[in-house]
Amino acid sequence: MKSRNEEKKYMPEISKKEIEELRKTIEATSRKIVAENIEKMKKADLNRPKGMKYFDEIADFATREKEIRASKKEGKKVIGYTCLFAPIELILAADAIPVRVNSGWYDASKLGDRVVPVEVCPMVRSTIGAKMIALSPYLELSDALISVLTCDGMTKLGEILSDYKPVWAMTLPRVKDSEQSKRLWSEEIKSAKGQIEELTGNKIKRKQLKSAIGLTQKATKAFRRLQELRKGNPVIMGRDAMLVNQTYMWDSIERWTEKTEALCDELEKRASKKNWVCPPDTPRVMVTGTPMIWPDNWKVPTLVEEANPQGVLVADELCSGERLLYDPVGVDEWSMSDMLTAIAERYLMASTCPCFTSEDGNEDRINWMLNKIKEWKIQGVIYYVVRGCMLYAMEYTRVKKVLDGIGVPVYYLDTEYTREDVGQMKTRVEAFLEMLSARIDI
Amino acid sequence: MITAGIDLGTQSVKAVILKDNELISRGKAFSGFDPAKAAEEALGEALKEVKLAMSKLVHVTATGPGMDMAPNSNSTVSMMGADAKAGVYLFPNARTIVDVGAEEARAVKCDVNGIMMDFVVNERCAAGAGAFIEAMARALEVKLEDMGPLSLKAERASSINASCVIFGESDVVSLIHRQESKPEIARAIFDAMADRVSSMVHRLGVNPDVVLVGGVAKDVGFVASLKRKLGIDVLIPAYPEYAGALGAALVAVNRVRKA
Repeated sequence: MKSRNEEKKYMPEISKKEIEELRKTIEATSRKIVAENIEKMKKADLNRPKGMKYFDEIADFATREKEIRASKKEGKKVIGYTCLFAPIELILAADAIPVRVNSGWYDASKLGDRVVPVEVCPMVRSTIGAKMIALSPYLELSDALISVLTCDGMTKLGEILSDYKPVWAMTLPRVKDSEQSKRLWSEEIKSAKGQIEELTGNKIKRKQLKSAIGLTQKATKAFRRLQELRKGNPVIMGRDAMLVNQTYMWDSIERWTEKTEALCDELEKRASKKNWVCPPDTPRVMVTGTPMIWPDNWKVPTLVEEANPQGVLVADELCSGERLLYDPVGVDEWSMSDMLTAIAERYLMASTCPCFTSEDGNEDRINWMLNKIKEWKIQGVIYYVVRGCMLYAMEYTRVKKVLDGIGVPVYYLDTEYTREDVGQMKTRVEAFLEMLSARIDI
Repeated sequence: MITAGIDLGTQSVKAVILKDNELISRGKAFSGFDPAKAAEEALGEALKEVKLAMSKLVHVTATGPGMDMAPNSNSTVSMMGADAKAGVYLFPNARTIVDVGAEEARAVKCDVNGIMMDFVVNERCAAGAGAFIEAMARALEVKLEDMGPLSLKAERASSINASCVIFGESDVVSLIHRQESKPEIARAIFDAMADRVSSMVHRLGVNPDVVLVGGVAKDVGFVASLKRKLGIDVLIPAYPEYAGALGAALVAVNRVRKA
């Protein structure tokens, strides 16, 4: 392992005093935003499911921070990741804690501007900014980071964060279904296994891996159950469901599964009593595009569900949402090599990330959306892109063509990590929702 | 039935009164710091012209960025929805409405009934909108209303990059240093704006007839550039800046009928 005293490749030296001051201000804002968001979510559904209380608590960074800190004292290691391709099952099998470290703080993105130009994706800038002032407990507590080379921003983000922590880069092939891609990715998974074992000092055995796969399979089942419940008339506001989905990124997976199942029980009862959270003719919207990270980057879901006319989010195609857990690891034989192959396949083949390309134009993402639109009766799609997010921006043209073909309106909503453009965005979101409800007539 | 539409724009507020679907009067006021007061003024002016009392209005619909601030309004409609309604009312064959105002440009695709089907808005930047012409007129030391006629005198096209008002201004300064003539610079400015607006229209698909509304539609220089860039004719109503208010007043009629 290399010495951490080496001169930093990217990060500027900032005085302790400045770091403290900045962190204090931004942390205070963050706490305010978390509270505000939850307050708004409570107001949106006055009869909010009781099961949401748990997720509100876990949405507060301090809650999980305490737990992880305690586990670390007992010798557990924490492995952070930036993209969904990090093999969670291997981390769990080595008795380590997986956490996603992407940052959703707007103020932190302004700090990131000191390191990289403003043209860079704000999520990347914000994660850099968060690291500069030690804002994200999950990033701080990570003993190592898995940086999967997906988009350009993520590729360089890993390099920049290696100024502080060991970063394991995993090369992700851009073409999924060729033999050489599968071979390369399988090798990457095996090598990640070695790195995880070395860091934790725990050799990953067949039995542990099998039970770790069991854990994520159960989580997937709960996750899918929640999304299934969003198929009919709305029994849960989109923001609530999105928060549940997202907390999977940092919560204890076992407990998350339990709480999600309990929430689903409650929602099923609601459905049987026809207890809808909004009028059944409220326009049903899906969001897709750049990930939306709690707590700041919550403006689009809030706008949609608080707009006049109101919309309800019944699905998303986001790597901070439904893409997290949609597909389980499918194992035939529980041998070590079969399990590793199954893990590799689950992360590579199932992903609908626009970093992939294929002759038919990333058909997996298109098909996933078409299926969602049909099954979840989606009336309009908001295609959300932050500045600098090249892959999503470019793939919009393709998605728009397909959706035009089936007559489903899609709106390209471009924004930044800022609170100042909410007024402008509101105008657009409301016009879009008006269009969805007024295809009858205004 | 008498209805009114108020468009609370960034620079001015416009009001329109309809009697049985026929436009009978207009009013206008500067938005200033108090858009609510400006809305009252504009509507008051329109009412005064036809000697009507406020109480005669069956329904008032507001639109524009300040629509939530409109006093005495019964409902609101998005600017895009209002544009679509007004465009098809003015020109029954209109399928694309382009609205270029002081701070914002947008393009709306609509159907035969004036119902919006799709829309695009300029991306968080005033370079495709009227404020850009104002800033550039200052840089050229030309009166705003002279910019259009001046640009028509240009003998050839030069170009600037209108990615942003600020950068646009520095591009204009370099043209001045290169001793380009004022008419050519003025044309370059309109061409750059028209480039941005026409690329918005292209993203929707160019569905004729194309109607241009909003205050900037009164600028002959911009209109010439836009026609050149789109390669087709563009229809312009007599009072293009009142289109938003007109659309809102038409929506008001619908809302009364549906109620």
